[in-house]
Parts: sequence; structure tokens; C-alpha cells
Amino acid sequence: MSTATDLLERFGTNYRISEVNEQKADLTFFKVPKDQAVRLLRELRDDAGYTHLAFLTNIDYIERGIFTLNYMLHNYDTRHTLGMHVDLDRDNAEMESIHNMWAQAATYQRELREMYGIRFPGSPRLDDDFCLEGWDQIPPMRKEFDTAAFSLARFYSRDGRGTEDPREHMKQQLYPTHTDDAPEGGN
Amino acid sequence: MSLKDLISPFYVWQRAFEKPYTQKRPIEDRPGAPRYRGFHMNSEDCIGCGTCESICQNRAIDMVPVEGLEQRPGDSGLRPRFDYGRCCWCALCVDICTTRSLHLSNHYAWVTEDPDAFHFTAGTDPMPWNENSLGYRRDDDYHLLVHDRIEMEMLGPDESVRGFDEVMKGYTEEQAVLEADRCVECGICVATCPAHMSVPDYIRSVRKRDYETGLRLLYETNPFSSTCGRICTHRCETVCVMGYQGDPIAIRFLKRAIVDRVPAERYREILGDDVSDNGRTVGVIGAGPGGMSAAYYLRRLGYGVTVYEAQARAGGMLRYGVPSYRLPDDQLDKDIDYIRSLGVEVRFNTLVGRDVTFQSLLDTHDAVFLAVGLNQPSALRINGEEHPRVLSGLKVLDDVANGLDPGIGRKVAVIGGGNVAMDAARVSRRMGAEVTVLYRRRIEDMPADPDEIHESQAEGCTLVAQAIPVEIKPAASEAQVTIVWGEAEMVADDKGGRPRPVLQEDRMHEETYDCVIAAIGQGGQIDFIPSDYREQIEFKWNKFVPGDYQQTGLAKLFVGGDIANSRADAISAIEDGHHAARGIHRFLGGSADA
Repeated sequence: MSTATDLLERFGTNYRISEVNEQKADLTFFKVPKDQAVRLLRELRDDAGYTHLAFLTNIDYIERGIFTLNYMLHNYDTRHTLGMHVDLDRDNAEMESIHNMWAQAATYQRELREMYGIRFPGSPRLDDDFCLEGWDQIPPMRKEFDTAAFSLARFYSRDGRGTEDPREHMKQQLYPTHTDDAPEGGN
Repeated sequence: MSLKDLISPFYVWQRAFEKPYTQKRPIEDRPGAPRYRGFHMNSEDCIGCGTCESICQNRAIDMVPVEGLEQRPGDSGLRPRFDYGRCCWCALCVDICTTRSLHLSNHYAWVTEDPDAFHFTAGTDPMPWNENSLGYRRDDDYHLLVHDRIEMEMLGPDESVRGFDEVMKGYTEEQAVLEADRCVECGICVATCPAHMSVPDYIRSVRKRDYETGLRLLYETNPFSSTCGRICTHRCETVCVMGYQGDPIAIRFLKRAIVDRVPAERYREILGDDVSDNGRTVGVIGAGPGGMSAAYYLRRLGYGVTVYEAQARAGGMLRYGVPSYRLPDDQLDKDIDYIRSLGVEVRFNTLVGRDVTFQSLLDTHDAVFLAVGLNQPSALRINGEEHPRVLSGLKVLDDVANGLDPGIGRKVAVIGGGNVAMDAARVSRRMGAEVTVLYRRRIEDMPADPDEIHESQAEGCTLVAQAIPVEIKPAASEAQVTIVWGEAEMVADDKGGRPRPVLQEDRMHEETYDCVIAAIGQGGQIDFIPSDYREQIEFKWNKFVPGDYQQTGLAKLFVGGDIANSRADAISAIEDGHHAARGIHRFLGGSADA
């Protein structure tokens, strides 16, 4: 059994750790409830050698009504990476900020605020534009955002555009009269 | 402001005479990484399904006709055209591509002064990267599409062979939704379906569990949906784009998933029974799928329809040729009863030429639709075939459908490789016989539905391929018959046709059976049409050659079904009937909207 799994088992006495997935020898994912997440992050950083926050990102599981935050932590001594998953309610997505633990977290949190609308109260410059200047739509990485509709509405079409439906095209070419809306007199 | 601030901009000018650090054309020396997401390439495997266009979140893809590229069944003839003003190289189009024809090259530089130039049809426009072998391709283990068909519960062969219970159990609602979910809704199948059914639309209704809409969609083109949901030859599935990397969508069974969930009592309410009468009548000869389909669409247009049927029940070959383990009688009745409920009159036990004359039909009705099918078994054309223990496959199936004992005995040889042969073999197994099927070509050449071939083998029929019957001889017992057959070698055809079986006279076999069931095909019988009329009608090999809208040279006569097309399956007959209904409506002064 790997040390990472041992570690998680040890933490398991104090935290509700689940879905442990040793994806590779040097990469293990697990899940922890939202109310225990930051306390565990601090313990992993201070007591278990996972001193580096490699990145913080989010997955939108719209069908299940949740966001899953993914905190990637690295231990330089063991060269092992831990991926910590934390589920948030998608309709009321808020998470404790960790900018005081890792300064760069503020930037990730700003990005998540812009792309998914997740709030991190207290995180510096959280509501400033990150890379979408003048964005006036819902956060674009939320899956209900209709990229194609936005694209059509926002950007004009180049001259020479025009598409045909395969089914309709084949009907016109291959069996024009075998339909109930056949043109008069044709065959 | 200091003096330095004023002077410093001029220092920059000294750089003008130095060798620049930037490279003038670095791109020529810097190929993209091996899996770089560069410009699009499309191989000849593309069939123009348009799934790339559907998934593109930037609306960067159009499906356009390409000069010199013909549309044909299974290929729309359209190809994706990319607008690089909108593309963001996410490569979803590559990941979703149903035929894996679409790739990204690792070519990434395209320099021109014309901003409208970045617009091209991948694979067919001559782009410099068309031969590029590097770039982004979908990983083998990464799939956005579900390749495996949802399995349907069926009776195991041990169980199925014991009776005439339906073998295929039908999808549960959950299974049907999952199977429907695999469909990309490209619509390539619609052209191949002889009836051009709205396949993607009714599959969507399965996904939405909206069976009323589904039923209405089915009846737009097919009033035998319960039947076809079970026994259709499903030509659509042969071109289904999902078949390129996995299993085609079970289109046939999704049709059944709709009708299985709508009780017959609700048909009239859902489909509407507001049929008017326009005062004109059409006579239909034959109550098979072709005749009843014409009757349905004509009745909907307000025609009075009388169907003349020689047998005691309607359904034609579906009733008498398809055994109930494939198509239970009550399911066929569900389709036919609804058609009759609209006021279509069926005169049973009425053989045209015996009970009524063809002339009287022409005199009585404003038009006549003829779909008498093929019900005359073809002869084996070998010596001794008139032996009383040589039975026809059709007769055996007919007897079984009518609850009669066909008297096949315990050891049976079936000759032929079509569905009638398979059905005769499987029926014989169910009656307890040991069955050997002799077929002159290879198993893969058999015209029967592959499912039927597979299931007949599973049920214990022995298939002997490349076996040519040579002679039928009396056996020691009168209750038996001896067949002489020889092994065949397949020989390539010089004229480019399919390989021919050639008899090997040194490898002959002789075997005695309780009966030999001949099922090598059927012909039609149209002697009831007076010869002066027949002269006005075009025939080829004893089949009608209909003109536009199924009309014959005898203007009032429209024809369809097995006796008028080469496909000889139910769905083609159904479309013939529908198309003839359109034609009759045009002929009698209505519009083509039927």
C-alpha cells in the first residue's frame, strides 16, 4: 500500500475522506466534504509536506447539480501529488478562500468566480475582471451557457457562409417525389 | 522632465542599424508539435453526416456540396467547410467524428492579406497540409459516442425452439432511452429507408419518452410500425453512422419501443380519425403490407377503399410467411385493425379472377392498386422434384400460420438461403425435426437477415453452404425422399459479378429425409389480368415495371409490393403503397400532398 493511501487512511480518523482513487503511483485523488476541506488542506500543507498548490480548478456536473472543486497539492520530498475534490451546491456555489494559505490561490479563485460564478468571500479582487473584459453574460464555463447561441448572436457571419442539412439535401437529390411535400408535377 | 527623458527615445534609433533579434520567417523552421492542433484535414472516409457541424460551439462549420462528389445512400455528398474566423481549435469536431475521417494537422501557419481567405472545405480543397501525417487525432480510448448497442432480452435458443413465443422481448423503457441516446440525429439513414421514415425524429421522441409524437411520426410514412418494429429488413441500420466505429443504432427496435408503449385503443385518439369522404373509390388487390398501406393513405385522403383478399385474413406474407415467433399475430392485428377502423373495407376469401373479375374492379373503382405479392414457389428445376415429399417453404409456413400440421416428419432438409428458408428451418425445429439447410453459395452470401441466420444456427439448424441440389430420388420408404447434392467451389466471375458456385462432380452426397422443403424464391401470378390489358403494361422477368408514382401503362392501374419491386420486403411494399396513394390522388385530380 502506498504512503499516500496510508496517509489518507490516517487522516480518515478525523476527516470524512471518500472516493480515494490512486490514479498513478504519484497521483491520488480523494473527496472530502466542504466543511472539512480547508482544515484538511492546512494539515496537508503543514504536517504532511504538501506545500505546493499546483492549481485549483472546477468541474461542472450539471446533471447532478454540483460543482466539484479540485485542489492539486504537491509534495516535493516524495514527488507525490494529491487531488482533493470538494463538492459544492451548484446553485449556491460558495467556498472558503485559501488566499491566506497560498497567495496564488487568489488568482485561481478570481478565475473561478469569473468562469463559474463561485464565490470565495474575502479573496482579494475577487470581482475584478480576470480575462473577460466587459463580460455581460452568465459565467461562460457553466454548462448552461449556450456557447453556440452566444457565438451566433455576438459575431457576424463571414460572407460565403451557408450550410445544408444532410437529410434534406439527400431528399432533394435522391427521392424528391417520395415525400408528402413533393413539388407539383415533378418526379 | 529631465534631459535624459528627452534624449532617450533617440537612442533607440541606433538599433535600426543592428542585426535584428527577431527571425524574419521563423515559422518555416518551426514545425508544430506532433500532436499540435493545427489546420483541419478530412479523409475519404467522410460521409457527410454533419455531426462535426452539430457539435461545433462556435458555428465554424458548414456542410456544403462538393463538385464531383455524388450523394449516394450512406453519404450525403456534403463535406465540412471551416470558417477560421470562428474556429477555436477545440477539436470537438475531431473527437466526435463518426467515421474518424476528421483530423487536425500540425500545420499552423497560413499567411495571406485577404481576411476572407480563411474559409475552406477540409479534405477536398487543395490545402498544403492535406498530406500532413502529424497533428491531433482522437485517442483510441477516448470516446464521446457510445459504440455498443443496448442488448435486448431474448429467449435463449433452448427455450425459443420449444414453441412459437416471440423471441425478441423488446426494450424496457430505460433501455430504449439509452439506445436512443446513442443516435447523433444525422439523418443519413432516411434516404436509405425505402419508406424514408423520419428516423431521427422518432428516435428523439423515444429519448423524450413522448410516444404520442412518436406514433404520429411513424404513421406519416408507415402504418405497419408494430410489424416493422419487429421484422423490418432495417436497411437503415446498414448505413447508420454509428456502425463505423461500433454498432449501428437499433432503429428497428426503437420503432417497436414506441408502438409497444401505445395501446391499440389509443391509436384513433392520437392519430385522429377525422376521415372525410371525397366520393371516389379505389379498389386494392391484396391485403398485404403494400395493399393495406395504400388503403390507409388513400382512406386518409377521403377515398372509399375496398381491399380484395384471397385469404381469410389480412396481412399477406406477413401473416402467412412470417412465423409468430418473429411477428406475433396480435401485433400484426394491431396495425391492420387500426387501418380497418378508419373504414377500409376488406373482402376476404375473394380471389380476383375467380370471385370477381379484374374488369369489374376497373369498372367499379376510380383507380385500382394491385399488390398481390409473390406467392408461387419457384421450382428447383432438378429431376424428381415432383416427389410428394418435396414441400414448398411457403406451404409449410402457410400451414403453420393456419394452425395446420404441415407433416414434415422428423428429419428435414431445407433448400435455400433466404428468409423463407430460414423461417421454414426454424419452424421445423420447433416441430421437433432435425434440420439441415442446403445453400448453394457461402453463408455470407445468404439473402436472409443475418439475425435469422444466426438464430437458426443457435436453435440447432445445421447450415451446409456451397451445396448444390442435383437430383431428388424416391427413398426405400414412401414417407421419405432422397436428395443428391454436390459440393460447390466458388469461382470468381470474369464479368465482375459475384462469385459463382461450381458443382464439384467428384464430391457428391446422397441423403434421405422425411421431407425436402424447397425455399429458393417465389414468383407472381397475374393471369387474372386480361391479355389485352397486359399488353399495355411493362413487365420484366414476370414482374411489373411501374412508372412514376407506381402507375402502369393502363392508366387506372397502379402496382406495388413484391411483384413490382426488386427489394421484395415489407417496408418497400409499404412505401409502394404510400407512393401509389400519392399517385392515385394526383391522377384523380388531387395534389401530390398525400
